[in-house]
Amino acid sequence: MAEVTLTPRSGEVSGASAPVVIGGAERSRRFATTLIIVGGTILTVMVLAALLAPVIAPWGEREVDPTAALAPPSADHWLGTDVNGMDIFSRLLYAARLDLGIAIGAIALAVVIGSAVGLVAGYYGGWVDDVLMRVVDIFQSFPAFIMALVVASLMGGGVLDLVVVIAVVNAPAYARLVRAEARSVREQPYVAAAVTSGVSHLSVMWRHVLPNCLTPVRVIAPLNCGWAMLTLAGLSYLGLGVPVPTAEWGAMINLGSGDVVAGHWWTSVPPGLFLLASVLGFSLLGEGLQERAEARRR
Amino acid sequence: MRLLRFVARRLVQLLPVLLGVIVLTFILVRILPGDPIQTILGPNYTEEDAAAARARYGLDQPLWKQFLDYLGGLATGDLGTSIQSGGSVSAELAERIGPTLELVILALAVALLLATVLGIWSARRAYRLGDHTIRVVALAGNSLPDFWLGLVLILVGYSLLGWFPAPSGRVDPDVGLTPITGAELVDALLTGNGPAIGSALSHLALPVATLAIVITAPLLRSVRASALEVLNSESYTAAAAHGLKERLLLRGYLVRATLVRLPQLAALVFGFSIGSTVLVEYVYSWQGFGQWALRGLLYRDYPVIQASVVVIATCYLLVFLIADVLQAMLDPKVRIDG
Repeated sequence: MAEVTLTPRSGEVSGASAPVVIGGAERSRRFATTLIIVGGTILTVMVLAALLAPVIAPWGEREVDPTAALAPPSADHWLGTDVNGMDIFSRLLYAARLDLGIAIGAIALAVVIGSAVGLVAGYYGGWVDDVLMRVVDIFQSFPAFIMALVVASLMGGGVLDLVVVIAVVNAPAYARLVRAEARSVREQPYVAAAVTSGVSHLSVMWRHVLPNCLTPVRVIAPLNCGWAMLTLAGLSYLGLGVPVPTAEWGAMINLGSGDVVAGHWWTSVPPGLFLLASVLGFSLLGEGLQERAEARRR
Repeated sequence: MRLLRFVARRLVQLLPVLLGVIVLTFILVRILPGDPIQTILGPNYTEEDAAAARARYGLDQPLWKQFLDYLGGLATGDLGTSIQSGGSVSAELAERIGPTLELVILALAVALLLATVLGIWSARRAYRLGDHTIRVVALAGNSLPDFWLGLVLILVGYSLLGWFPAPSGRVDPDVGLTPITGAELVDALLTGNGPAIGSALSHLALPVATLAIVITAPLLRSVRASALEVLNSESYTAAAAHGLKERLLLRGYLVRATLVRLPQLAALVFGFSIGSTVLVEYVYSWQGFGQWALRGLLYRDYPVIQASVVVIATCYLLVFLIADVLQAMLDPKVRIDG
C-alpha cells in the first residue's frame, strides 16, 4: 500500500541510506536544539502570561460585563465574551495559572510516587518486586484517560483532587521506568561496595541508586506534562474538572461548545489554541531532549 | 500447537489482573462519596422509599454478599440491572458497543494507513525538510485536544461550510434503516439501503476524522522510528550495496520490517482511542459505549460503572494479547515458548 505515494528518486538507488546516516547526526543535533529552543520559548511565554495575568488582563478572572454577553471580539473585549459576559482573553491568561500549575504539580507528584515504588521494587527484587509490579499491572490495565475519568468522577473536582488524580494515572509508568533502571544499577560494583562497607539500604537507594536511575525520567517528564494538560482539559470539558466559574481552558471550551453550532468561534477556539500551544511547547521540549539523548548515544 | 499453548498461558496470566480490576472497581465505587439511590429518588423521598430502593438493587446486603452475587452474575454473563434505567446492563451494553466499534475501527484503519505511508516516507528523507515538516506536524497532532478538534471540525464543516450534518447523533431517522448490529454503516450495507449508506457516511465523516487525526500522530512517530532503524541496519545496507532495486528494497525490506511492529502499535493506540472515544462521542452526541459509560459514572450507576470498566480492561488486555500473537506470527525473530 505504501508504494502509491513513494516515487523512486533517480540516482539514489543503492545509496539511499548511507548519506542520511553520516549527515544525519549533525542535522539531528541541530534539529533537537531548534525543538528545545522553540518549545522553551513557548513555555516561557505561557508561564509569563500566567504570572503576569493580573497586570496584562484588561478584565478580572470572573468579572462580568453585563452589557456584553456573547459579544464578538472588539476593542473592549479583544477576544469577545462568553454567554455570561466574561472577557475571554482575560480568562485565558488566568486559566494558564491553573492549567500549567496542575499539570506540572501532578507530574512532579507522579515522579515522586512512581520513582519511590520503582526504586524499592527494582532494588529489593523478589516478592517485593512481584507484589508492587502486580499492583502497577492493575493500574495499567486501563487506558489512562479512562482511569483518570473514573478516579476523578469518584473524587470530586477540587484543584488538589485533580493533581492527585493525574499523578495517580501517570505514576505507574515512572514506576516501571525506574524499576528497570534500578535493576541494572543494583548490579553495579559500587552498590555492592557501599553495602559491604555498612551503608544502610535506604541510604544506598537514595544516594547511589536513585540518582543513576533518573535519566529516562528527565526525558519523559516534559512530554508527560503536556499529556497531563490534555487530561485535565478533557476532564473539565466533561464537567469532571474544576467547578464552573473557574477559568480553565477545558472548562472554557465546554462553556463555549454550544456556541459552535451557531458559528460563534470565539468562545471555544481561543482556549483550545492556548491549550494546543502549551502542550506543543512541552512536546517540542520533550522531543528535543529525546532526540539529543539519542544523538549522544550514537 | 505451540501457539495455542502460548495463548492459553497468557489468558491464565490475565485472570489475576482482571480479578484485581474487578475487586478494585467494586470497592472504589462503594467507598467513595456519591449515592446512586439518591439520583433516582428525586427531592422528596422518605427513608422508607430509600430503603426499599436500596433493597431492590441489593445494596442493603453486606459488602461481601454483594460482591459474591456480582461475581456469580459475571460468571454467567449477567452484568446486573442499571440503577438509572432499570434495564439489563448486558442488553444496554450490546446496544451501545456497535456504534463505538464502528467509529474506532474506521478511525484506526484510516490512521494505520496514513501513519504507515507518511512514516516510511518521512524516514526515507530523514533529517531533511520533508521529514522535519512531517515530524513537527505529527508533534502538533500529538498535542491536539481531541474534543476541541472535534468542535473545530463542527465549526468549519457544519456551521461555516454546511458540508456535514449537525453533530446530533447518527443516521437521519427518515431513511428507514432497520437496525441489525447497531453499527449503522454495516446495517445500511447489509440491508442495501442506499440513502442510509449516504447518511451514515456523512455522519461518520467528522467523528472518524477527529479520532483518526489524533491517533495518526503517535502512530506516525513510531512507524518513522522503526523504519529509520531498518534503514540504518546492516542487513538493509548490505541489500542496498548489492544493488537491489529500489522497489524490492522498499517492499521486501522496509515495509515488511516496519509492518512487523504494527500490531503492537495498533494495540497501544487502540487503548488510547478508547479514552478518546469518550470525548469524541460526547462532542458528536454519538450515543455509543463511551457516552453510556460516562453517564453511568456521573450518576454513580454501580452496575454500569463496573460493567464498563471490566469490559474496557478486558478489551485492552485482549488486544495486547492478540498483538503479541500477530507479531509472533509475522516476525521470525520472535519465538514463542510454550
